[in-house]
Amino acid sequence: MATAPYNYSYIFKYIIIGDMGVGKSCLLHQFTEKKFMADCPHTIGVEFGTRIMEVSGQKIKLQIWDTAGQERFRAVTRSYYRGAAGALMVYDITRRSTYNHLSSWLTDARNLTNPSTVIILIGNKADLEAQRDVTYEEAKQFAEENGLLFLEASAKTGENVEDAFLEAAKKIYQNIQDGSLDLNAAESGVQHKPSAPQGGRLTSEPQPQREGCGC
Amino acid sequence: MYIYCYHIKRHYVFPRLGLNTNRGTETSIFIQNILFRRLIKVGINRFGMTSQVLPHSPSLSGRNHHAILEAAGPSHVAINAISANMDSFARGRTAILKKQPSHMEAAHFGDLGRSSVNYQVQETRSRLSKTVDQILRDNVAMPYFIQFMETHIAEHLVRFWLEAESFRSTTWSRVRAHSLNSVKHSTLAEPAASLESPDSPDSPNDPSRPLTLDQGDEEDTFSSQTSSRPHTPSPQDTNSHTGALIGHRNSSTSGLSDKLMKSIERDAVNIFTKYISPDAARPIPITEQIRNDIVAKICGEDGQVDPNCFVIAQSVVFSIIEEQHFSEFLRSHYFCKYQIEVLTSGSVFLADILFCESALFYFSEYMEKEDAMNVLQFWLAAENFQDQLAAKKGQYDGQEAQNDAMILYDKYFSLQATNPLGFGDSVRMEIESNICREGGPLPDCFNTPLRQAWTTMEKVYMPGFLSSNLYYKYLSDLINSVRVDEFTGGNANTTPEVDRNSSDSSRIWLHQGTKKAAVKILKNFDEAITVDIASLDPESLYQRPYAGRMTFGKVNELGQFIREAEPEPDVKKSKGSMFSQAMKKWVQGNSDEAQEEMAWKIAKMIVNDVMQQGHQGSPEVKATKVHLFLSLHS
Repeated sequence: MATAPYNYSYIFKYIIIGDMGVGKSCLLHQFTEKKFMADCPHTIGVEFGTRIMEVSGQKIKLQIWDTAGQERFRAVTRSYYRGAAGALMVYDITRRSTYNHLSSWLTDARNLTNPSTVIILIGNKADLEAQRDVTYEEAKQFAEENGLLFLEASAKTGENVEDAFLEAAKKIYQNIQDGSLDLNAAESGVQHKPSAPQGGRLTSEPQPQREGCGC
Repeated sequence: MYIYCYHIKRHYVFPRLGLNTNRGTETSIFIQNILFRRLIKVGINRFGMTSQVLPHSPSLSGRNHHAILEAAGPSHVAINAISANMDSFARGRTAILKKQPSHMEAAHFGDLGRSSVNYQVQETRSRLSKTVDQILRDNVAMPYFIQFMETHIAEHLVRFWLEAESFRSTTWSRVRAHSLNSVKHSTLAEPAASLESPDSPDSPNDPSRPLTLDQGDEEDTFSSQTSSRPHTPSPQDTNSHTGALIGHRNSSTSGLSDKLMKSIERDAVNIFTKYISPDAARPIPITEQIRNDIVAKICGEDGQVDPNCFVIAQSVVFSIIEEQHFSEFLRSHYFCKYQIEVLTSGSVFLADILFCESALFYFSEYMEKEDAMNVLQFWLAAENFQDQLAAKKGQYDGQEAQNDAMILYDKYFSLQATNPLGFGDSVRMEIESNICREGGPLPDCFNTPLRQAWTTMEKVYMPGFLSSNLYYKYLSDLINSVRVDEFTGGNANTTPEVDRNSSDSSRIWLHQGTKKAAVKILKNFDEAITVDIASLDPESLYQRPYAGRMTFGKVNELGQFIREAEPEPDVKKSKGSMFSQAMKKWVQGNSDEAQEEMAWKIAKMIVNDVMQQGHQGSPEVKATKVHLFLSLHS
């Protein structure tokens, strides 16, 4: 997968938050590597991964910061919330406690990110239908009440994993288009760059020379 | 290879395999067993491959590669094996070398931090990320913060806090210095008796007396007082009569105290009048109770002013600043201007980048392009691990910490590491022993490799980053946010509706129009044009300051060669300063000369603005700076 210097127009910063063991790292790994890590160890602090996707004909690179869910890392991971364009808040549909803790995660997210940050709720482990502990409807309602996007996904089968990241990206891009996300704000979580590969030169394409000083 | 296995054995197995079962070290035995078994297995593998290992063999597996590199010498290991992939690192490094050859000479790498001690103590903060406390003690950031507070009509809070803080620390210094001198008097002159004792018979004829007083001076006011004291020059006067001597001495010390006390009182009353008194022009919002408390502390019974009289009020004000104003400041363009000042100051440190979220965003992208994400990932993870462990102040679960550390070990250090960084054997073994320590790893467990990673990032990647397009992008984003903010006359986050405060309806239109223009352009072009449109000043667009002059051109203060004659199509623009190169990169994609000219005008306006804001200061601010300086250094 070639990442030529400038073949994407934007970079969006994402964070993934949620209780430990809900599958944040697996979601990221499935998204960037298209593989399911069966025995992945828990995350120490933060890790990040990237992938380029296409939204409305634009190539967008996602820089995704996967945070540790363990309580003991909560303080250090808080410093990575800032300047995120999008946040994936993940819970495990087979463990009710992870759903109940969402309000705490949401509070952190709202306090520490921009007002314009797009938050998407993800109910992971959707493949374990037999052990479901949280219904789709109630989670959907919670999401609607709090203005969040919502999807159930499975890092194991890959179901809805792409969509999870894509939906958030679409919303962010839409916010840029209609002006509600201020790209010039210091911590918008978005880098925007030229799409044509130019290698830092001034003259990318020849333009007709103007005549002297126009008066 | 035999030696290698033996070495491992000697280090690990027997001294460490918890034969001290009575200490309940079963779990750590378990870990050590795992380690030992792994090491032996790997050692055997390596041993098995010995015959194939040749120093010059080109086709090598990763593991053998490490062996070769070790044989070549530690510096090569560190330099060459930093990324997961030898080729990609070479590519990245070549790219850096091409850009900045002077920075990348091998001499500059040094030992990549292996000999330096304790790097982490100082560098845990970025100058670009600030807390309230840090801002209040930062002379560079302070003017920006005061300007911001002025827009909130709340700058008197900050000024009060600064003056009170300065009062507190200088007063304590003066009191300390004074009492230090009192002690010196008594020990030198009357070892057996106190100063007040009436029967101190000895001749204190210490010609050193004036000397001690002078040596005790720390404060300007204090020394001015001693010099104005009539008793200084002649100890001989007091020699003759003990009584007179005592009297002199008593009055001299209390005379000192008097002057000192009066001066302190004056300062305190000054602050009280300005900020605390109900009649003050801008009183700070404190309760009556606190006010009375302050009064009591200033007008103490013994005439002494309590240097801590304002502390409670200070903390009240501090909370107000923190809760009501600070987060908005961090989102304001004043803070951006401060960041710009830091970033264009000519010295940006790695700490500034790594501990500031927005800078890290750009730096991560850079490191990924350079195929060096592993170094950064490791540094982030190990640093976070150590931080959270240190925060527990010793009250942590050793097993849990060991598990966490093992995860890092497996990922970055072990001989079958998924993301090997190429740390040498000695480092790896140090880590192993740190992890397998009795009671679990300590918060300095990964200090050595962290130091190496830090130094690598600092020496190898930072210079490239600071001259990369990404960095200019970061700078220009900051500058943009300042310009848009100022152009729209307020917080860039406000929607047009909020602007209804300004009765100027055209301004609202401008704001909406600006946003629409920005949006429209974004769809078709790159951001450089967006910048232009968003910060257009219609008036300056049509000015022609150089019209009519018969010169070819000149170099302006920004280092740009401004051509005043008609340009030749094939003449290259002069390189100019680094800043002009930055400007060129900022407007990349824009070959239109007029566009670039506009960008230069904007840059000039920005620079002037930033310079002005940075250097201008009301006398109060300057005085505050002096106070701050004094208080910090006393």
